[in-house]
Amino acid sequence: MSSSTSGRDDDAPDLVCQLDCVHGMVEALSSARWKRHQDAVMELSQHGVVITVEESGCLQAKVFLKRELFVEYEYAGQGRVRFGLSLGLLIDCLNIFSSPGHASAVEIRYPGPDMQLLLKSVGSPDACMYAEIRTRIPDTVSWDFQFEHAGNTPVTFTVKSAILKESIDDLEWPGSNIQIQMQPDPPSVILKGEGHGDLQIEYPYYANTDLLIAFQCDREVSYRYKYKFLRATTSNIPSSVIKENRGTKVQIGRGGMLKIQHLISVARPGMPYYRNIAGGDDQTSRIVYVEFFVKPEEDDNTVNDA
Amino acid sequence: MDKVGRVCHIYLTPTHAMLLHNLLGATASGSDGSGPQCVAQFARDLLFRDYYLSSRNGNRIAFAVDIALLHRALRSVLAVHAQSPAAGDAPAAIQVRLVNKLPAGSRSAAPFLTFETKGARAAVVQDVPISRPLSRSDVERLQAALDAAQELPQTLVQVPDLPQLQSLVDRLKNVGDLLTVAVTQYGDLHLQVSTSVVTVGSEFRRLRVLGDRANAPVGDQNLTASTRMDMAVERGEALSVQVNMKHLVKSLHCHLAKPDCTFYGIVPHGACLTVIFQYFIPGTRLTDKSISFYCRLPILDPGSS
Repeated sequence: MSSSTSGRDDDAPDLVCQLDCVHGMVEALSSARWKRHQDAVMELSQHGVVITVEESGCLQAKVFLKRELFVEYEYAGQGRVRFGLSLGLLIDCLNIFSSPGHASAVEIRYPGPDMQLLLKSVGSPDACMYAEIRTRIPDTVSWDFQFEHAGNTPVTFTVKSAILKESIDDLEWPGSNIQIQMQPDPPSVILKGEGHGDLQIEYPYYANTDLLIAFQCDREVSYRYKYKFLRATTSNIPSSVIKENRGTKVQIGRGGMLKIQHLISVARPGMPYYRNIAGGDDQTSRIVYVEFFVKPEEDDNTVNDA
Repeated sequence: MDKVGRVCHIYLTPTHAMLLHNLLGATASGSDGSGPQCVAQFARDLLFRDYYLSSRNGNRIAFAVDIALLHRALRSVLAVHAQSPAAGDAPAAIQVRLVNKLPAGSRSAAPFLTFETKGARAAVVQDVPISRPLSRSDVERLQAALDAAQELPQTLVQVPDLPQLQSLVDRLKNVGDLLTVAVTQYGDLHLQVSTSVVTVGSEFRRLRVLGDRANAPVGDQNLTASTRMDMAVERGEALSVQVNMKHLVKSLHCHLAKPDCTFYGIVPHGACLTVIFQYFIPGTRLTDKSISFYCRLPILDPGSS
């Protein structure tokens, strides 16, 4: 299945890693889950694990789990190893290990004897849980989600995750397509929905410093996106992101490609210090990046940056 | 028992009062005749101060009752009863009778289980409608089913933490409907759900064992849990059966009855999975023999599922 396993005659697994608390990983993966059955591609490398989910060629989500998030991370594969599996199944299985009050460490291993992804609780000799997830030959991940900045300066803004989620939830009422417009003068971001009715939400940069944390835009840019795709980017943001008052970075790139990046902390609650593979004990490295890429709707009326 | 099913049989004998669920198969709960069986048996003296029972059928009476109604009546009886004991008074007795009376707006008499409670200021009479008493042959069938259900597993393992097991099973039930349960003679309990895409399992080791026991094999620490279990079954030191996840979830609801300890075992030849709940005599660690409470989960034939 994976190209890297050929040429090695020993049966050492490509990856053996350990998480001390699966809760954060469950939250991060759940944020990329917008429907019940989703096929995901998992990519392993010496830098960590990347999980990619895609929908109808218009929406892609990537969850980056850096190796620093793991208590142990031993990668013996060659290059990158990719395989497909069901995202929902992975989340359900990880959830089994996160029973309240029993935050036991979980070992993740790939591949098993039948190319499965193996999960196993470690730490308690008298009670052990395990899961074996069947993997598939991965679908091809489309590469046209490559994000590039359109001009010399990137067009980007950073907003509180909670506000972005609330705005997108509110835009459900007009429905259909949502126009995202950024203009340098006066510096502001406008989200506009026109459907059963009109709704316009404006984030002025100077009016309220709490609203937009950062703003960068040298020319007016405006694109339309399908509401259901925008909604998928914020519908399952974990409550910890809202609670910790984190920001979400939004960028509009070449051709209107929208990139939305959430930072999800996977720090174990009530545990300020932890040990990771680098021997470090700071919680700042315990951040999972979740990125969404949304392609714009074909529309002649929008003001393009071309 | 509220959660196990809607209707149960109350079976009264000269020495015991019993709540039986699903023992008569199809007649007990309509179409779902293959659900888990549940038996709660109380010694006469535990529940009643005076007990008078007479019937033409060897002084045995059995009838069906809607559990929700019975539960509601008992709750209200408790509430009224709680008000009653003024200082110095003996606690009021609750009189339970089986009566035939004419319900309002009806011409024919119907049987009721009547609770008479005397509170401080009020006396409350509650009639819980019940079925006609079971015929002699049905009572005999019930007794036979009860006798058959007495068969004990040769090995029982004690599950230390029932709520934890329930939360585990709650999460496992998202995975699949068919659960493999294995019990070894050296105190391992193994639960596994398997579908075409995923296998999830949990193993509890070194639990307390009652009955037949064996010494745990040495050097199996490095094997996977499922290999370990397969080897134990091969050596004849374990039994493994498949049960319906829904049945196990139902039987786990029994922890609402707050048993003091719980044992799991498999009846020889894999006839059923038995769950036994025990109660201690208050203030001691001795098992109260006057209460017997257990569930029997039917085994699914792997071939037919």
